Amino acid sequence: MSADRMKPGERLVAVLMGQKPDRVPVSPFILGYAAKIVGLPIGDLYTDPKKSFRAQLLCAEMHGYDSSPMYGYAAVGAWEFGGKVGFPYEPGQSAPYVIKEPVESEEDVDRLEVPDPKNAGSVPIAMEIARQCYASGLPAVFQSGEVLTYAGNIMGPTRLLTWMIRKPELVHKVCKKVEEFLIACAEYFTSTFGADRCIAFAGGPIESNKLISPKQFEEFVYPYMLRIHRKILDMGVQIILEHPCADQNKNMPWYRKLREECGWRGKYVWNFGPETPLETQIAQFGEHDVIMGNVDPPSFQFRSFEEVLLLCKENIERGIKNPSGYILGPGCEMPPLAPPINVYAMIKASREYGRYG
Amino acid sequence: MKEEILRGLTDSVVSGDVEKCVQYAKRALEAGIDAYEAIMEGCARGMSLVSEKYEKGEMYVPEILCSAEAMYAAMDVLKPHLKTERVGTPRKVVLGVVRGDIHDIGKNLVKLMMEAAGFQVIDLGRDVPNERFVEAVLKEGADICGMSALMTTSMIFMPEIIRELKQKAPATITMVGGGPLSQELAKAYGADGYAKDAAAAIRVAKELLSRRGGM
Repeated sequence: MSADRMKPGERLVAVLMGQKPDRVPVSPFILGYAAKIVGLPIGDLYTDPKKSFRAQLLCAEMHGYDSSPMYGYAAVGAWEFGGKVGFPYEPGQSAPYVIKEPVESEEDVDRLEVPDPKNAGSVPIAMEIARQCYASGLPAVFQSGEVLTYAGNIMGPTRLLTWMIRKPELVHKVCKKVEEFLIACAEYFTSTFGADRCIAFAGGPIESNKLISPKQFEEFVYPYMLRIHRKILDMGVQIILEHPCADQNKNMPWYRKLREECGWRGKYVWNFGPETPLETQIAQFGEHDVIMGNVDPPSFQFRSFEEVLLLCKENIERGIKNPSGYILGPGCEMPPLAPPINVYAMIKASREYGRYG
Repeated sequence: MKEEILRGLTDSVVSGDVEKCVQYAKRALEAGIDAYEAIMEGCARGMSLVSEKYEKGEMYVPEILCSAEAMYAAMDVLKPHLKTERVGTPRKVVLGVVRGDIHDIGKNLVKLMMEAAGFQVIDLGRDVPNERFVEAVLKEGADICGMSALMTTSMIFMPEIIRELKQKAPATITMVGGGPLSQELAKAYGADGYAKDAAAAIRVAKELLSRRGGM
């Protein structure tokens, strides 16, 4: 095994610039796991920006992976729009969760106000982590979607899904307000740090085909997503990390259309769930975009080191064929309870099987 | 006329049309159709079709939730007219989302499909402590205990619950499901069954019960 020629971070930058790094970069999508590694309750990772940044930085340093600290969670939206979330301080919990939705009735929809990002829910925490990243020469990451996941957290997923059939006009009203908010967030971050130092991160489970049809994606997700992406690209953001969470195979044509309608501007990093074969992603985006993927996340928690190493090897062998670059990662967040040796398996797999000639 | 009413009930459950469903339920009673037959041959048949369509990717959760609304609206009309001797003793299922986990869409779909299939569901809700599963199974004499989890941090409680149940209620069938679970993991946890979604849960439950000579 030859020595690494590049430092963590340099490797990732090389891929994003369309160059070949020394070996495949590793981005293990680590949040709660970092808290565990440094001996903090997972809740601190989402409530204390200083501790969160330091935990993520130390975790990356210890393992030697390439991605940098960020902030985000799937229950986003409720707190920002006036509801309440709880933080994962109890056994079994791994991420913030909604306690009270700001929309509980039809009347609440009209009362719902688009908040100022500067003091909306978790945005100040995300901003503080982004400031520390910026000060360390790392990219400032901000959350830019997905709209329907935000809407689901604002009105509760069951209400959202039922209203998509019964009262679609109310769902659209909420989605429109989310769109406004996300564009305001993007303006806040890009005006603070400069668009060239920002990465937009979008993802969410409610868009998954486990819940909604591609037709519903077309109606309730795509128009908002397209407008948000166009605005963000217009602001000058060059990198968008898009995480279509869980099984979104049937939404693939819409993601492809998004890139086409945005003129393939910027560099997208696609991190689909493990349900989506790398070959499908390469066929759709390979000419322009980076593929980050997409080892089955629970495997990191319950499989042996040898098994995880093999899964990473197989992922590398398939992903490295992407002409516009590939990053090794899980298909969703790294399980917080994964044994550290299985995170190391990613680094080892990259060193042993991911060298560029 | 009976066939037309029952088919009307089935169709309006599938299309999620609450008003029509209630109308057909009332017409069923007016026509002297037994309430139990209307539920089983009308509403439950509709939900069974919904379940099939969900498995085939022809229906998604928003449509299922509307079908459920329609079915429950019809059941509200029909249930007061049930003759107890026709109903028999339904199979009991204790169902819940394990500790630390509040994601209950999947569990709610399983509950809905199971009720439509004639099971009696004792829904413990979400973020359920281990001991509550065991207590409920013992108290209710449940045939099945179904556990759901969406988080890798919460699914770790499942083997503890299963172990406890194997000791205290060995006849109870244990089933697990949810995003991070798999057949392999279910086996490793000692569960009797695994279902990848709500539609599969009914099939697996019936199969396991029939193996035990109970369905």
